[in-house]
This record gives sequence, C-alpha cells and structure tokens, in this order.
Amino acid sequence: MKASISRLPLEIEFKKKGIILLAIIILLFSALVLRLMYMQVLQGSHYEGLSKDNRIRILSIKAPRGKILDRDGIVLADNRPAYNLIVIPKDISDLNVVSSRVSEILEIDHQEVEKKIKAGLGRPFEPVCVGRDISFDQVAKVEAEIFSLPGVSIEAATERDYVYKDLACHALGYLGEISKKELRLHKGGDYAACDLIGKNGIELECESILRGKKGKRVIQVDASGRKQKVLDEVYPVPGKDTRLTIDKDLQATAKNALGDKVGAIVAIVPATGDVLAMVSRPGFDPNMFLSPIAPEMWDQIIHNPLHPLENRALRGQYPPGSLFKIIVALDGLSKGAITPEEKVFCPGYFSLGKRKFKCWKTSGHGEVDFVKAIRESCDVYFYTLGKLLGIDELSTYALNLGLGKPTGIGLPEEVSGLIPTKAWKVARFNKPWQGGETLITAIGQGFVLVTPLQVAKVMSAVVNGGHIYTPKILVSQSSTLEGEIDISEDHLSIIREALREVVEGPHGTGRGIRDPMFSIGGKTGTAQVARGFTSKLHDESDIPYKYRDHAWFFGFSPVKNSEILVVAVVEHGGHGGSIAAPIVMDVIKKYFFLKGAMNEQIVKDSR
Amino acid sequence: MSKLSKIVDNIDWRVITIVFFIIFIGLLCLYSATNVLSLIIFWKQVIWVGLGVFVMLVAFIIDYRTLMRMAWPIYVITIILLVLVLCIGNEIAGARRWFSIGTLGFQPSEVAKGMVIILIAFYGAKKKHIDGYGLRDLLLPFVVLLVPTLLILAQPDLGTAGIIVLIAICMFFVIGIKKSAFVTTLFIMIGLLPVAWLSLKDYQQARILSFLDPNRDPLGTGYHAIQSKIAVGSGGLLGKGFLHGTQTQLMFLPEHHTDFIFSVVAEEWGFIGSAVVISLYLLLITRIVSVGIKAKDRFGAILCFGIAIYFTLHVFMNIAMAIGLAPVVGVPLPFISYGGSFMLVNMACIGIVLSVSWRRFFS
Repeated sequence: MKASISRLPLEIEFKKKGIILLAIIILLFSALVLRLMYMQVLQGSHYEGLSKDNRIRILSIKAPRGKILDRDGIVLADNRPAYNLIVIPKDISDLNVVSSRVSEILEIDHQEVEKKIKAGLGRPFEPVCVGRDISFDQVAKVEAEIFSLPGVSIEAATERDYVYKDLACHALGYLGEISKKELRLHKGGDYAACDLIGKNGIELECESILRGKKGKRVIQVDASGRKQKVLDEVYPVPGKDTRLTIDKDLQATAKNALGDKVGAIVAIVPATGDVLAMVSRPGFDPNMFLSPIAPEMWDQIIHNPLHPLENRALRGQYPPGSLFKIIVALDGLSKGAITPEEKVFCPGYFSLGKRKFKCWKTSGHGEVDFVKAIRESCDVYFYTLGKLLGIDELSTYALNLGLGKPTGIGLPEEVSGLIPTKAWKVARFNKPWQGGETLITAIGQGFVLVTPLQVAKVMSAVVNGGHIYTPKILVSQSSTLEGEIDISEDHLSIIREALREVVEGPHGTGRGIRDPMFSIGGKTGTAQVARGFTSKLHDESDIPYKYRDHAWFFGFSPVKNSEILVVAVVEHGGHGGSIAAPIVMDVIKKYFFLKGAMNEQIVKDSR
Repeated sequence: MSKLSKIVDNIDWRVITIVFFIIFIGLLCLYSATNVLSLIIFWKQVIWVGLGVFVMLVAFIIDYRTLMRMAWPIYVITIILLVLVLCIGNEIAGARRWFSIGTLGFQPSEVAKGMVIILIAFYGAKKKHIDGYGLRDLLLPFVVLLVPTLLILAQPDLGTAGIIVLIAICMFFVIGIKKSAFVTTLFIMIGLLPVAWLSLKDYQQARILSFLDPNRDPLGTGYHAIQSKIAVGSGGLLGKGFLHGTQTQLMFLPEHHTDFIFSVVAEEWGFIGSAVVISLYLLLITRIVSVGIKAKDRFGAILCFGIAIYFTLHVFMNIAMAIGLAPVVGVPLPFISYGGSFMLVNMACIGIVLSVSWRRFFS
C-alpha cells in the first residue's frame, strides 16, 4: 500500500533537494549559534556592563553648606529651604513646548531656557537646573501643569540666605553659579555645572570647609528614567559652620555710622588682632548673586564708579596723610634722631633749596616739641624729622612694621599699599628720588599708600606695647605675632600720651570728640588728593567732590590697655577731625555699651 | 489493531510535541515580557493558542489536496483582504495593517504568506520540467505574486513583503530553475536594487543605515538594535533568570513581546536557553523537510518544503535582527512572538504538514 513504482523518481528527486535544503538551514542556524556564543559567552561581561550603565544612575546629593556666624554665634549666612525647577532632557517630548511654557512661568527668556536644556542633551539623564529658587506661586503653577510638561519637575533644595543683607557683605563675600573657568580649576573635585561656589570674602576663602562633601544615591531606573529602587546611598557630609571675629551689632553700628559716605571702617582688638567690624561703603546685597543675575543689573554693579563690590578695608589704597607722622615719630625716637624734649621752630613753612614747603597752619606753630607736634599735627616738625632720617631709613622702618605688603588677614584679593623707596622710584619712573619727596612722604603724601586694615594692624602694635599681630577674622585662627616694633617701652608710652593729647589736649586736632566718660587716644589725617585743592586751605564746599581730601581717623580706648581700636576713612570727606573722628567715636561707644560697661542712655546723653 | 489506533499511530506526534514545547517557552517569555504592565497580552495569546489548535485540527482533517483546487480562490480572497485593509484597516503609527475585530486584530498580510506557499506549490505540482524552469515559466508566477507584494509594501510593511519575496525565491530554487534563468534574475535584481532603495520610505532607509552603523542615531532608529544586543549579550551563558532580565523588566527594549521577543529568551535564559530554542526550531524544520521528502505527491512535498522555508526565514531573520546580524525589519518569531494572525497561520501550516505526513499512509 505504501510505495508505488510511479512515486520512485519523485522520492529520489525530493530526497536530494530536501537534504540540500536542510544543509543550508543547518548552516544558517549554526551562524546564529556561533554569533550568540560570541556575544553571550565571550563578550558577556562587556554587555553586562552596558546593561548596568543602562539602568543605574548615580545622583549626587548636595551637602548643606556651613553657616557663617558672628563671634557670638549669631547667624550671618544661613541656609533656607528653596525650590528649583529642574528638567531631565531625556524625558522631554517637545523641547519647544516645554521651554516656552517654562519661560512663561518663570518670566525669563525663552532662548535662555532652550539653551540650558540643549546644553544638557549630551547627558540626557542628568537634571538641568532651569529655575533656581523659584517663588511659591511659580511652584504652584508648575505643579498644576506637571502632567502636560513631561521632563519638568520641582526639586526641594536649600538656598543661601544672607540674613542681614548688605551688613558685612564684603567680609562674607557671596556665592554664585560656578563658571567654566572655575569648573576647570576644580576638575576632579566635587563640582558640577550649576553648583554654587564662593566668589569672594569668607565664602571663597573658606570654600573647602563650608562646602562639605556631596553624597550620592545609586538608583535603578527603567527605560523612561523613572526610579525603580535605591541600590546604594552615601549621605553627604554637611559643611562646617564658620565663626567670624566680627561682632554683628558693632558691625551694624559701624555701617550706620558711615551711612551714605564712601569709605571704610575697621574695628580691631589691639591685643589679639581680632577684627570686630569691617565695613566698606557702598555695599551690596549678596543674596542678589544667588540666582542668575540680569545682565543690566550686573552692568550697573560693574560700571558703578564707586565699585560697590570692592572691599575698601583691604583693597582701598589711600595716602595716609598725617597718620603717617606716627610712623615717622616712631622711627625718629627709636633711632635717636630726636628726643621728646627737643623743640623745632615752625614759622609756617619749611625751606628746602629754593622751594618752600608749607605747614597746614600757615601762620606757624611756633616752638614745637614732640607731643605738640603730634597733638597739633605740625607739618614742619615732621619735614624736619623726615629730612633727618632720609627716605631709605623711613621706608625700611615702615616696611618692617608691615606696611607695603598685605596684612595676611586671609581674605581674597588683599592689596599691598605702597612704601616708596629710591629703587622703586627709579624702576617706576626712571627718575632719581628728589629731596622734596622725602618731605612730603614724611607727612603721608606723595607716593605712599596704605589700606585701612594696614593702619589698624600697625596702630594696634603702637597702642598694645609694640606687638605686631596679623589681623584675623576667624575665631578658629589663633593670634599670630609677626614681630615687635623696634622701639623702647618708654618711647611707646610717650607716643600713646601724645595720641591721648590729640583728643584731650588743648588745640588737639581730634578734640571734637572729647568725652569725659572715655579715655580715648587717636590721630587725625587729612589726605590731600589733588595739589592746590586741599581743604586745609579752602572752604570744602568750593572744591569739586573728586578733588576733596580723604578724611582719616584712628582712635583707641582706653589709652592704657586698649580694648578696641577703630580706623575710619571717608573718601573725599574733608577734615579727618570733623568727618572721620565722630564715626570712630560712635563705634567705640557702641563697643563699651555692648560690653555692658555702660548703658545706652549714658551713651546717648554723652553725645 | 483497530482502525482508530492506526489513525492515531500515524499522526506525526513528534511535530506536535516540538510545536507545543516551543509554544510553552513562548508563553513563558511573553509572561516575562509583559507582566510589568498587564497580563492582557499574555491571556490574549493563550486564547490565540487555543484558536490555533482548532485551526491546526481543521487543516489536518481536510485533505491537503483540496488546497490545489482552492489555490486560486484563496489567492483572490487574500487580494481582496489586502485591498480592504488599505481602505478600512486600522491606522497605527502611519501603517494600515490590521482589521480589528473587537479587541483582537487580524492581519491579512500574514495570510498572504500562507497563500504564497500554497500557490507556488500548486504551480510547481502542475507544471513539471525535468531541467527546471526557464524565464518564460517564471513570468506568470512573478506577475501573480507581484500584486500581493505591492499591496503589502503599500501598507507599508517592508518585513512581510521581504519575507514573501524570499519565500518565493527559495521555493523556486527548490523546485528547480535553469541556470540561464537564475543568472538573468540575479542581474535584474541587482539592477533593481537602487530603484528599491529610492522607493523606500525615509524611516526604512534610516533603519537599514542604522543596521550598518547602530551608533549613527543611538536614541532613534538605532535604539532597538543597540538595546537588543545589550539584552542578548548581558544574558551570558546561563542568563539572568526568569523575570530577572533587567533590559526586559525595566522596558529598555521596546516591542519585546513581538519582534524582539528573542532578546527576552537570550537575556533571561542565556546562551543555553537560546541554543535550546534554536535547536527546537531546527528539529521541527528537519521533521517538516523529512515529511516533504516522504510525501506521496509532488504538491505535498513542495508544500512541506515551502513551510520549512517559511519557518526558517522567520526564525533566522528574527534572531539575526535581535543579535545585530540583520537590519530591524518587523519579522516575528513563530509560536513565540505575540500575534494572533501569525499564530493561526503557523498552526495552519503545522496542520497541513500533519495532513501531508498522515495521508502518505492512505491512498
């Protein structure tokens, strides 16, 4: 029944064809098996890695930044909760729709948003921060539309809060978004685009301490980037709090005392170098830089002729004027060029060759001894002393005191000021030093330049018994004794007494702030800006602002065992005695009130 | 020996066993591929398997020789369905390939694949040439087969059209063609390549380009290819385990219940599992070819060879695509990929093979 003869050729024909067909099929399937063996067995671990990359994302968790406190622990720079609008580029369905809606809600430029998101397309799973610190209204708007805006979400974050706004803005510095340059500088570190970084002041100087260490969260995600589970978590290490030597209340008083005037104040503890207040005006609100700042606003700050970002306390370089006479006096006494009793006659001018160098009091001081010279700030006395010492001696002495170089307080961008020498003059102007230049240097004019902080440092040494301390602003730093003034104890106390006479003596240039309740010493300075326009000769209101003199005063109290020394400079303020001295007095009074040494009523009554 | 036991004994139980084993593996994979979202697809497939068994029984019971008489009517019905689907079919992602009947879909192009096998077997059985077909003999089948191919290309469905062309070419090789005809066809086809390339839609060109270089557009057209290779490769020797394939469970791989189901097999069961599945297919196809060799008539033999070619092309193209040996064109994996019409046609083919195998024992 099975095989019949007619089917024989058919069976032979198809057997041959069937075998060929099967051979080809086996060949094809073998190719598949070989390829699978190569991929799965030989290259398995390579693909295993790729599959992990696919599903594992490492998200960084920002560490809370350390707070900045004042010396009593009052918070100056805090962290407050904030909301950021973030976008995950991978999850966006329509870039145009998302960026236009987001820009509408945040009221920022459409192009700006699109640019930010596009910049993130290279790493499509990483969130891009489009709106930092958005308002509650904006959060509500986004949340209401969250389903029509795939890829957009709200992230809870912390934001820096400078509680007292522009108070101590220069000492604190500010935070801003990290720049490309800074990112390169910190390459390999803990930084990512959009991170905030300290840009100035303590925020910059103590960046590594304040910043802490980022944590990370390793999560498994599905193909649409949704979190499935947390595989590993490393908690961030919060930044350490930093305590400043600044006293918040004293700082506020100093700031208010300066008011709208342009200038700087430094209050310091002479015995330790602790800076109690550091004011520079005009100032700025550091909160402003946290969110991306509008270009026109930035322009306004950068092109403000008064440079509000500059910390005048350590970057303002002014001729010291009569303050420099103390340096000359120290030098003269220590080198024996003069004795305290020796007298110089002041006819109102000093002749050097054909030239006459005027005293500020053109009628002359008459017979002048050491104490009178300082008390009444006689120019002729110091012309004489300066000529006796010579510029080489004078500049060496000033440099040894710590002038002409940064004080080393440990804040960014401190400048050195300038103590001119003969060599410097030749190098700078290719001209030899003139004898007249020694004279004007001796009264703190000409080339010599100092910063308010340098004055505070050197004068502290003068009143504390000759110990030169490096000014400091962090409580954690210990006081550094840089050296001693080259002068005897007796001579120092004579100078201190002379400085007391400035305020308390007859005809003292600082007698305007005399107060029977305080033991105060100090020295006025009126630094000439333009020759011929000095307010010693003219009525102030007749002189254009930019040619008016800088007003200096430094004061300390009590005269023996001084607890506080305050330096104030008012740019183009006029007379040191009438303009700068009352500002210093306000700060000194506040210091003793805060100390509890007296109550506020007495402070007020005594004015 | 009763007649019934003889009937039962002569059924090719080996084919049935292998098919059900593959179907079982297929359901496991489908469960793994879809359980994250919902089990609707899984249960639908179970229903299709049930319907498939019924279709297989019908195809087995009907004498396959009736198909010779039915060849032209089947052809005409298929053409009508293909035209209808272009007019009233469901448009999904810019393609009209389905009729929907309730929640189930019906894909006429799958039927067209079966129709082509029957039509060519019919032609080969009737028109015999000792030294093979010449060009003139191939003209009629060419024109006849061009119509459904163009209709499928119009849907557009490049994968199915390609499979149909390949089935036809391979079957004519098996039947036998003259050397001169072979050379001429080859030259014509090479000449037509640029024309074919230009007539492809942009996305089809992009797929072929990204096959040549998957990293050309890794998140776009190359995405499937790359993710599939990662899934397969990361399976390693033993696999990540049932329901533990990260590529699958976390949905990095789209279409993993249809065209890319093999990467689920490879990822979760590793090289061992993949080799077992390929071996099962090879066993099935070998069995079908041997049924063809032993068939009692020319029609039955060519029919079986055609079906063997049909399964081979699907299995090879589908796996080659999953492991980066072929461009991403939608070719499903028989008995494993989700798809109703495909399952029914596959089961009908098995029914026909059983019918050919069983009927050689009876005149």
